[in-house]
Amino acid sequence: MIRNLNIILIFTSVIMLAGVYTLKFSIEHTASERTALAAQIESQEGDLSLLKADWAVLNQPGHIDPIVKRHQVALAIGPVQQKQFGAFQDIPMRPVKPNNAEMDALFQSLEAGIDPIDAILELEGIE
Amino acid sequence: MAVTAEDLSPTIALDGGRKIRGNLTQARIRWMVLALVLGFGAVGGRLVQLGMVVPDSTIEGQARDVITATRPPILDRNGLEMAVDIRVPSLYAEPRRIIDVEEAVTKIRSVLPNLNEAWLRNRLTGDKGFVWVQRELSPAIQERIMRLGIPGVEFLTESKRFYPGMTEASHILGSTNIDNQGISGIEKHMDDENVALLQELGLARGNALAPVELSVDMRVQHVMHEQLVDAMSRYQAIAAAGVMVDIHTGEIIALASLPDFNPNDPKTALVKDTFNRITSGIFEPGSIFKTVTMAGALDSGAVKMTDQFDARFGVRFGRFTIDDFHGKHRILALPEVYKFSSNIGTIRVMQAMGKENFRAFLSRMGFDQRVSFELPEMRLPSVPKDFSEVGAATASFGHGLSVSPLHMVTAYSAFVNGGNYIAPTLYKRSEAEAELLYRRVIQPETSANIRALMRLNAIGQGGSGSQMNKAALGYRVGGKTGTAEKVVDGRYSSSKVTNFFASAFPLDNPQYAMVIMVDEPKAENPQSGTTAGWNAGTVTGRIVQRVAPMLGIAPDFSPIIDDFVPTAYR
Repeated sequence: MIRNLNIILIFTSVIMLAGVYTLKFSIEHTASERTALAAQIESQEGDLSLLKADWAVLNQPGHIDPIVKRHQVALAIGPVQQKQFGAFQDIPMRPVKPNNAEMDALFQSLEAGIDPIDAILELEGIE
Repeated sequence: MAVTAEDLSPTIALDGGRKIRGNLTQARIRWMVLALVLGFGAVGGRLVQLGMVVPDSTIEGQARDVITATRPPILDRNGLEMAVDIRVPSLYAEPRRIIDVEEAVTKIRSVLPNLNEAWLRNRLTGDKGFVWVQRELSPAIQERIMRLGIPGVEFLTESKRFYPGMTEASHILGSTNIDNQGISGIEKHMDDENVALLQELGLARGNALAPVELSVDMRVQHVMHEQLVDAMSRYQAIAAAGVMVDIHTGEIIALASLPDFNPNDPKTALVKDTFNRITSGIFEPGSIFKTVTMAGALDSGAVKMTDQFDARFGVRFGRFTIDDFHGKHRILALPEVYKFSSNIGTIRVMQAMGKENFRAFLSRMGFDQRVSFELPEMRLPSVPKDFSEVGAATASFGHGLSVSPLHMVTAYSAFVNGGNYIAPTLYKRSEAEAELLYRRVIQPETSANIRALMRLNAIGQGGSGSQMNKAALGYRVGGKTGTAEKVVDGRYSSSKVTNFFASAFPLDNPQYAMVIMVDEPKAENPQSGTTAGWNAGTVTGRIVQRVAPMLGIAPDFSPIIDDFVPTAYR
């Protein structure tokens, strides 16, 4: 009886031992993965901070202005002059909208065989 | 013989083998238990001890929190970064782990040749646990040192402040030291306010902090900086400075002072003459101070716009006679006194007001104390407590007292915004917030009169601002020139002058006030002069021409706009 119990206990403890060790190693593995990830995130954050700084430099008016000046002649650009500003009064009036109804009536009368030009020609005495 | 027990030796009782073994086992068990208790006790005690240990996070007197502490990014009013944090590697060594110091020294110097050999050897020798070798290196150098494989030499990532605008806004931003603490400019102000506290609590480390928004517009700042650099070379001046404020909110739109420094390299700030001339420089303002005299006199009611003043002869004070620079030597109306910048006329205007009233008005305008402002670099103005007759006379046209350009731009803002004094600020401030801080210094009618005088100076025949108006045509700028002679060897020198131009635009509905200073300019060409109209004035004109479209001000040439200026004096 006791002998059997002992054997069972020994096996159980061996299995448990193996289990505990497996768990330990898997946790260590996870922890090292976590550390590696944290390090990677940190280095990427570092890279990101550098990229953001680069972006900020490229956006500075002080950085863009010399580039603009360099290509001023080729692109024919320059600082805005006062005479380039317009006012609403300077915009010409909108052209009168074409009278569609009149046009439709004309086409319909043409299709019906009545040409207003004929009437004019007749009036002028030209055949 | 009786056998008694007494004579007998004590009874010999022999324990059985079982009992002896039993006792022995019990004793052994006791010892075992004691050993186990002691063993576990020792383990437990050690655990408790380990649990009590507070990890020592200090590195040679500096908390690790501080060196990796982040600072909030600084943005301009449109959201463009003016200061950001970048992560950089720093090289440190653990001397107690270094096996061969000589080898380490040679190897490190092969990558960083500018390190002193003796200093480095001394640094790496000994039993210390942590020493800095070189801080804030580049990733490329980090890679090369890593490849050397020196034991006991390692890297730590530090947070470093970077200013993408380089020198452009240096005096506004200031700089930080190697431990990321603000040492000047707005960086120092931020630390004094709250950032230092956050870092102390450890909250700032690695956390993204909410960005700080400034009132500065980097586009305008760039134009002003560029034009001042241009002015320095064009007029061979020793210094140039400028400041522009929003007159309704007191927000600083641009502030530049040359020569300047590169905040990315804070030691350049120690070079002589790089101080902030706008806030911490005090100068005799010269004729731009006449606007103050005019505002005070008009506001007191002692003089009216239509009054006439006798400027035929110089004003005598004992041995001294004060005369005009471009003397007209005739009777001048008040707008003409201003337009021709007549010293005599201005003294008469001040005398009509009375010197006590004049001195009181200067106090009301805040000329005898520091302007309330965020930058720590400030200097007290020097204005006499009481004026003598001659002192008041010279003060009326800006001599014998010294104030900072920031004082002048604040005063001009109040003169043109309807008469409300508003302290300038570098942080964003809405008009509603500003209105709560308003302090009335002159009446709105006086403000309208001052606007007319300033505009007259730009459009009138022979006005001292006409040079300025040539470039900025259509943007309705008006202002006052000021040419202050410098004191050289105890007397005023006519060749060394500090030139100012104080202006506001667009004067039909003013938005911005500006003061430009050019120190010791030379004439640009033989036809031009060294007075303020030629240099500070034209710089102002060029700046306005560039920035007005950015600030949403369209040019307007309709003559009606200048109707508020008295036609008789144009």
